[in-house]
Amino acid sequence: MKLVLAQYKASVLSLARNPGYFIGSIVFPALFFLFFAPSGVRNSAEANFVMGSFMIFAAMGALFFGFAVGIAQDRASAWAAYERTLPGSPLSRLVSRVMNGFTFAACAVAVMALVAHLTTPAHLSPPAWGRLALALVAGAIPISLLGFAIGYFASPRGAGTLAQLLYLPMSFVGGLWVPPQHLPEVVRQLSQFTPTRHWGEVVWPAVTDQPWQAQDFLWLGAFTLVFGFLALWGYRRDQGQRFS
Amino acid sequence: MVRSLTDVVHRPPSPVVLEQVSKHYGSVKALDNVSLEVRPGEVLALLGPNGAGKSTAISLLAGLRKADSGKAWLFGLDPRDPKARVNLGVTPQETGLPNELRVEEVLDLVQAYYPDPMPREELLERFGLAGLERRQCGGLSGGQKRRLAVALAFAGNPRLVILDEPTTGLDVEARRSLWEGVKQYQAQGGTVLLTTHYLEEAEALASRIAVIDHGRIIAEGTVAQIKARVGLRQVRFRAAEVPPLEGVSKLEHRGGSFVLYTPDSDAVVRQLVGQATFSDLEVQPVSLEEAFIVLTGDSRREAKGER
Repeated sequence: MKLVLAQYKASVLSLARNPGYFIGSIVFPALFFLFFAPSGVRNSAEANFVMGSFMIFAAMGALFFGFAVGIAQDRASAWAAYERTLPGSPLSRLVSRVMNGFTFAACAVAVMALVAHLTTPAHLSPPAWGRLALALVAGAIPISLLGFAIGYFASPRGAGTLAQLLYLPMSFVGGLWVPPQHLPEVVRQLSQFTPTRHWGEVVWPAVTDQPWQAQDFLWLGAFTLVFGFLALWGYRRDQGQRFS
Repeated sequence: MVRSLTDVVHRPPSPVVLEQVSKHYGSVKALDNVSLEVRPGEVLALLGPNGAGKSTAISLLAGLRKADSGKAWLFGLDPRDPKARVNLGVTPQETGLPNELRVEEVLDLVQAYYPDPMPREELLERFGLAGLERRQCGGLSGGQKRRLAVALAFAGNPRLVILDEPTTGLDVEARRSLWEGVKQYQAQGGTVLLTTHYLEEAEALASRIAVIDHGRIIAEGTVAQIKARVGLRQVRFRAAEVPPLEGVSKLEHRGGSFVLYTPDSDAVVRQLVGQATFSDLEVQPVSLEEAFIVLTGDSRREAKGER
């Protein structure tokens, strides 16, 4: 546990001092929100909806880039190879990495909440906050695993590009910028098959006081299985290449 | 390396044992049936030109790679088991230090892996890092990074330290102070496995040398024994002819000059002075790479341009 905390501290410090990651995952989504939201929302319900969408956008950026780029860089890094020679199990590194990713995602979400409350009539009851937190975590799991898979398969430079190529289209097609019912017909059809759409479908009911639909959680579960399989496959392949 | 049951019972396991280890990367044979033992308290230098298999041997012992056949042991345990590596310290490549972290943060991280790390002040003092604790690694000079990298090998207070080319790129003064650090560690009972392609470095530190080339241990012995074999000097002079000389490893005739290689240039020069008429005498040290070409007649080495 002492080791996990030491690794966690070191990785948080490294990332916090990396302006590219910090701005990309925390500042950029908030700016994007300011650009879209305050002028477009007319009441509290609409503000909550947009805030929920952008919290997904923000959390996804932090997790997706953090894991994809972080893992791909570690696979090419002499320091990560050195850490493997130290007397710790690779599992503690994994745990500290996940804690690190979720810390930055939580910061990005908190900043979004702050910005939304300052600039729009967004307002949630305490139970709604609880449901929102659960919904955000439910969708964060498959997205994180997709980030892991990219990190294990792509080169350090390729991982950033690939994450970028998936991040913005998935956000748009998933209905995070424009609500699904306002998307063009073709995009709306496609939207059904993105993890971001189903992430939205569990977050939106939480912020608009609607009941959850079981099928959306099932979709997220299915994405978790598929991306989890990819991540595990990539992990095994990588271990075989570098450490056998 | 056959070990009887009494050995196993009565003697603590050696810090390092390689037992008939072979390792391929694709079609490249990096290690070919290598056996090697480093005993408690000794400094063994693994000496060899670049590409000889030194780094592969170390990656097996550090638990990064697995042998195709044979076994590697650290204190009688598999190096891939983290428990075995509690007793081991290695150096990272200094180019790989995490740039954003401060020196003290890197030490915090590395020392967290060990149950009984070396006290911070002592570590900083010994490796000339005092006063640099709050500097980010990215802002350190090349020499400072190198010192930090070496300090990390000792940070966990391990019983065995593996130093891979520890002084490559260091200036003379820094090299000497690093050597002092290693000697101090050995004096306190530490065991060291050192790779180098400088005979001088092996000579300064090691109690025993193993010479590795093309993935095989080709010689093993005391510093004096090995130096007599691979510590060559080149003697070059002009002369019409050369009398038979003792102690010459190789003689070449190039134009009007003779070039000969010998482990003892003093003796050869004395013989020359006594028996021959010559001019333009030059004596030069020979790098280990060149010595291997002379000794093995292996001209492919140059052509292949091994790193």
